[in-house]
Amino acid sequence: MSQLLTYESIDNTVLDTLRPPGRQYWLTVALLFGGVLIGAACWLYQILTGIGVGGQNNPVHWGTYLINFVFWVGIAHSGTLISAILHLFRAGWRNPIARAAETMTVFAVCTAGLYPFIHLGRVWMVYYMLPLPNQRTLWPNFQSPLMFDVVAIGTYLTVSSLFWYTGMLPDLATIRDRSQGVRRKIFGVLSMGWTGEFEQWRHYTRGYLFFAALATPLVISVHSVVSWDFALSVIPGWHTTIFAPYFVAGAIHSGLAMVLTLMIPLRKIFHYENIITIRVLESVAKTIVFTGLIVGFAYGTEVFIAWYSHNIVEMETFRWRALGDYALEYWIMVTCNTLIPLLFLFSKIRTHLRWLFIISIFVNIGMWYERFVIIIGSVAHDFLPHAWGLYRPTLIEFGIMLGSFCLFFFLFVLFVKHMPSVAMTEIKETLHEGGAHVG
Amino acid sequence: MKAVPMSAERVSLMGIFGSESQTAATIRDLRASDYTLERVHSPIPSHVIADALDLPKSKVGWFTLAGGIIGFFSGFALAAFTAARWSMIVGGKPVVALIPFFIVGFEFTILFAIFGNVLGLISQARLPRFRVYKRYDPRFTGHKFGVLVSCETAKKNDLYRLFEAKGAEINVYDNP
Amino acid sequence: MSTTTHSKTLEGLGQDKTTDARTAPSQRARWPLAPGLALLFVAVGAATFIFQVAAGDPARAWQAYLISFLLFSAIAHGAVLFATLMHMVRARWSGPLADLAEAFTAFFPISFVLFLLLYAGRSYLFLWSGTDLHGKEVWLNVSFLFARDGIGLLILYSLGFAYLYHALWFKLSSRGASGMTGRWLLRRWQKRPPDAERYQSRKTVLSGLYMLAFAIVLSLLGYDLVMSMDPHWYSTLFGAYSFVKAIYVGFGALIILAAVLHLSRATAFRLKSSQFHDIGKLFFAFGLVWADFFYAQLVVIWYGNISEETAYVIERTMTAPWNRLAWTVFIGCFIAPFLILINKRIKTIPAAMIVICGLVIAGMWLEHLLLLGPVYHTHVPAVPLSWADGMIALGFLGLLIGAVFVYLRQFPEILNVLPEENR
Repeated sequence: MSQLLTYESIDNTVLDTLRPPGRQYWLTVALLFGGVLIGAACWLYQILTGIGVGGQNNPVHWGTYLINFVFWVGIAHSGTLISAILHLFRAGWRNPIARAAETMTVFAVCTAGLYPFIHLGRVWMVYYMLPLPNQRTLWPNFQSPLMFDVVAIGTYLTVSSLFWYTGMLPDLATIRDRSQGVRRKIFGVLSMGWTGEFEQWRHYTRGYLFFAALATPLVISVHSVVSWDFALSVIPGWHTTIFAPYFVAGAIHSGLAMVLTLMIPLRKIFHYENIITIRVLESVAKTIVFTGLIVGFAYGTEVFIAWYSHNIVEMETFRWRALGDYALEYWIMVTCNTLIPLLFLFSKIRTHLRWLFIISIFVNIGMWYERFVIIIGSVAHDFLPHAWGLYRPTLIEFGIMLGSFCLFFFLFVLFVKHMPSVAMTEIKETLHEGGAHVG
Repeated sequence: MKAVPMSAERVSLMGIFGSESQTAATIRDLRASDYTLERVHSPIPSHVIADALDLPKSKVGWFTLAGGIIGFFSGFALAAFTAARWSMIVGGKPVVALIPFFIVGFEFTILFAIFGNVLGLISQARLPRFRVYKRYDPRFTGHKFGVLVSCETAKKNDLYRLFEAKGAEINVYDNP
Repeated sequence: MSTTTHSKTLEGLGQDKTTDARTAPSQRARWPLAPGLALLFVAVGAATFIFQVAAGDPARAWQAYLISFLLFSAIAHGAVLFATLMHMVRARWSGPLADLAEAFTAFFPISFVLFLLLYAGRSYLFLWSGTDLHGKEVWLNVSFLFARDGIGLLILYSLGFAYLYHALWFKLSSRGASGMTGRWLLRRWQKRPPDAERYQSRKTVLSGLYMLAFAIVLSLLGYDLVMSMDPHWYSTLFGAYSFVKAIYVGFGALIILAAVLHLSRATAFRLKSSQFHDIGKLFFAFGLVWADFFYAQLVVIWYGNISEETAYVIERTMTAPWNRLAWTVFIGCFIAPFLILINKRIKTIPAAMIVICGLVIAGMWLEHLLLLGPVYHTHVPAVPLSWADGMIALGFLGLLIGAVFVYLRQFPEILNVLPEENR
C-alpha cells in the first residue's frame, strides 16, 4: 500500500513535520522537562548534601551512576553503527533511519557524559580530569582507565556532533530554500551557504566517507575503553579479556533496540510509513538477533571459563550471579537479551509493529540489567567473604535516573520537531529514476 | 568548470532538469563542445553526474591524514610527557608505558583526523559561503538539477536549442 | 528465481551443457601446474613427517602437524564463512567470490581425517595428560577432548556440506554441470525437482547455522587445541580470537585463489576491480579486528598484572627468543598489511594481494608457533623453527590446493561468471 516516492514527496513529508506543533507536543515537552527538573533537583540535593545520599558505599562503590553511564554510551553506539558502519557496507536500509539514529547518538553521549560529573559528588573538582597546565605541574594519570574514558568519550562526543552536523548540511539548505522570514535566516546560517554545487559535493562526499571510516574504529574503541574501566581491575567477574568485544556487541544490541523504540512512534506520528518501511525495521530486528547471539555467546563463555579456570573466586562469583542475591536480575538479563530477541527469527513477529516495539523495550530492560549484574554483581561479592555486601539504589538515584531518561527524550523530541529527522538527501540517493519504493 | 573573464558579449544560460540522467547527458555534450560550463547544482551527490563531470579527486583526504598523524604523536606525547614529570611508580606500572598510552594515542589520532577532515572540507568546499548567488534556483536543494553555462552572445541560440533538446527549463541571463 | 525457469533449464540439460563442456577439452588440459604442485607438496610434506616421526624428532613433527592442521583448517572454515555470510546479508557484489569460497568445503573431509590422525600423536601433543590438574581432568582428558572436538567438527562440516548442496542447486541448474559429481547431482534433482523457494529458505537457515557452529566449534578448538596446552592459563576472549583469526586467513586465502584464477589464462574467471577492492577492504577490516582482539587480551592481562595470567604473555612477548617471533608476527600480520592496504589502488592489483595475503597467512603460521611453541620448548636459546616444519606445512598446503583443485574440476562452471545471475 505504499505510494511511490519522489524527491518532492520526500521533501514535503519531512517539511510537514516541521510545521508549528500543537498542544499535545508542548504538553509532552513540558512533561519531559518536568522530569529533567526532578533529576536536576535531586542532583542539586546531592551536591549540597554529599555523595552519600546515593546507595553506593562499601563494598559496592559503583551503582546506578555507572550503570546509566555505560547504558547511555551503549545506546549511542548503534547510532554510529547505522550512520557510519552501514554507510561503509553500502547497506541501503540504513538511509531512512540514519539521521534519527545519529541524533540519538549525540543526545545519548550528552546524557552519558553527565554521569561522571554526577558521580564525582564535588562537581567543582571536574577540572582535575583535564590536562590543564598548573603551577604544581600536576597532571591526570593517563594510565588510568578513567582517563581513557575522558579522552574516548570526549572524542566520541566531538566526532559524533561533527558527523551529525555535517550530515545535515544539505538538508538544512533544503529547509532554508523552502522557508521564509526568520526561519529562512536561521537555516541560512546553519546551512553555511550550501548550494548543492558539484564543487561542494565532491569534497563533501569524500569528507563524509572519511567521517564514516574514522567513526567505525571509534565506535569499537570507545566502548572497549568503557569496558576496560572494569576489565583493567583485578576483581573476579570484571577482570576478563572478553569484555571489549562483549561490551561493543551489547552496546549495539541495546542501541538498536532503542532505535526501534524511537522509530516506531516517530514514523506513526510523522507519517513516515513510506520512508521508514517495515523492511527497514525488519533489518534492524534481524541485526538484533545477531547481536543478541553474540551477547549470549559471551555469557556462556564466561561461565565456561569460570569453571575451566578452577579458580575458587571466579567459580564462586559466577555461581552467585546465577543463584545468589541478585539472581533475579541475572535471569532477567539472560532472558531479555538472548532468549526474547530470538523471537525475531519468526518473520511474522519481526514484521509486526507491536511486537517490534514490545521486544525492543524488553531488550533495553535486559541490557540495563546486564550492566547491573556486571557492575553490582562483581563488586558485591569479590575476594573476601567478610567484605561481601549488597546494594540498593536510593530515591535520589532513581530521581537522577528519571532525569536522565527524560533529558534524552526531551532533547530528541525537541529535535524532531525543529530539524529534519529524516535525511532527505540520503533517501533521494536511494531512489532510482522517476521514484521508487525504498527499503 | 573554469572562470571566464566576464564581458558584455557573453550570456549565461541555466538549464534546469528534473532527472540526473538528462543532466549527465547534457554535461557530456557540453564538455565535448566549447561552451564554458560554469556550475552544476544537484540535490544529491549523483554518481552519474560525477562521472560525466570527471572531476579530479578531492584533496580533503590529505588534511585527514595529516590530522591523524599529528594526533597519533600528540596523544602519545601528551601521555608520556605528563607521566614523565614525576618519576613515581603508580600501580606497579612503568612511568612511561606504551601499552596503555596506545589508547590515548589512538583516540587522539581519530580526533585530530576528524579535525583535519572538517578543516579540509570547509576549506576545499569554501564553506561557509554567505554571499548569495544571483543565478540560483531554490529548487536545486529539492528536486531539480541545474547546469549553468556561459557562451558568447552569438552562440546563444545554439546553446538554447541544446538545452531544449534535453528537455530543460531554461533561464537566460544577459549579464553573466 | 521462479520454479518454472529452473525446470526449463533442467529439461534442456541432458544435451547442451554437457556437450559444451565435452567440446572444450583444452580447458582441462591446460591446468597442469596446480595438481602437480599439490602432489609434490603433499609428497614432500608426508615424507618429511614420516621421516621425522620414525627417525628424527617425533615431538617436533607432531607439533608442526598440529600447527599446520589448525592453520589450514581455519583457512577452509573462514573461507566458507565468506559464502554463508554473503548469502545471509544478501550481498550483491560478491556472487563469483562466494561461489569460489564454497570450493574450500572440499578440504573439510581431509581436515576431519587429519584431526582424527592427531590422536596418534597425543603423547607428544597433550603434555598435560597424566599430570595433576586439580579437578580439570574431567574436561582435560584426551578421549573426551577428541570426542567433543570430533563431534563439533562433524557438525560444522555437515552444515557446510548441507549449505553447499543447496547452493549448488541454484548454480548447476542454471549453468549445467560437466563434472562427475555435478552430473550425478543434476540427475538426482531431475528425478525430484526441488522447490526454489524452499531451497532458498533452507540455504538461509543453513548459512545461519553454519555461522553459529563456526563460532562455537572454532572457539572450542581454540580452547582445546591451543589454549589448554598450557592448562593453567586461560583467557575468555581466546575462543573468539581463534575464530576471528580463521576469518582473517580464510578471506586472505580466498583473495589468493581469486587472484590466481583471475590472472591465469587457463580459466575464464575474471573479477571486476571493484570486487577485488571490496574483498580487499574486508580483509583489511578483519586484520584490524584480529589486532584488536589481540590487544584486548594483552592490555587486560598486562594491566591486571596477575602472575597466573602474565607468565604466559611475558614468556611469549617479552623474553627471548619468543619476543623476536612475537614482533615478527605482529609486523607481518598487522603493521605491514595495515600500512600497505590503506592505499586503495593496491587492493585492486591481484598480484600484490597474492603477496600480501600470503605474507599474512605465513605470519599466522608463525603466530600458532608463538602460542604453542613455549609449551613444548621451555628454555630454548632460539626459536625452534627448521626446514622440516616448513616442509610439513607445505604438505598441508598441498592438500588444500589439491582439494580446491578437485572441487573446481568437478564444478568448472563456477568459473563462468554469468552476468544475469543475481542473488
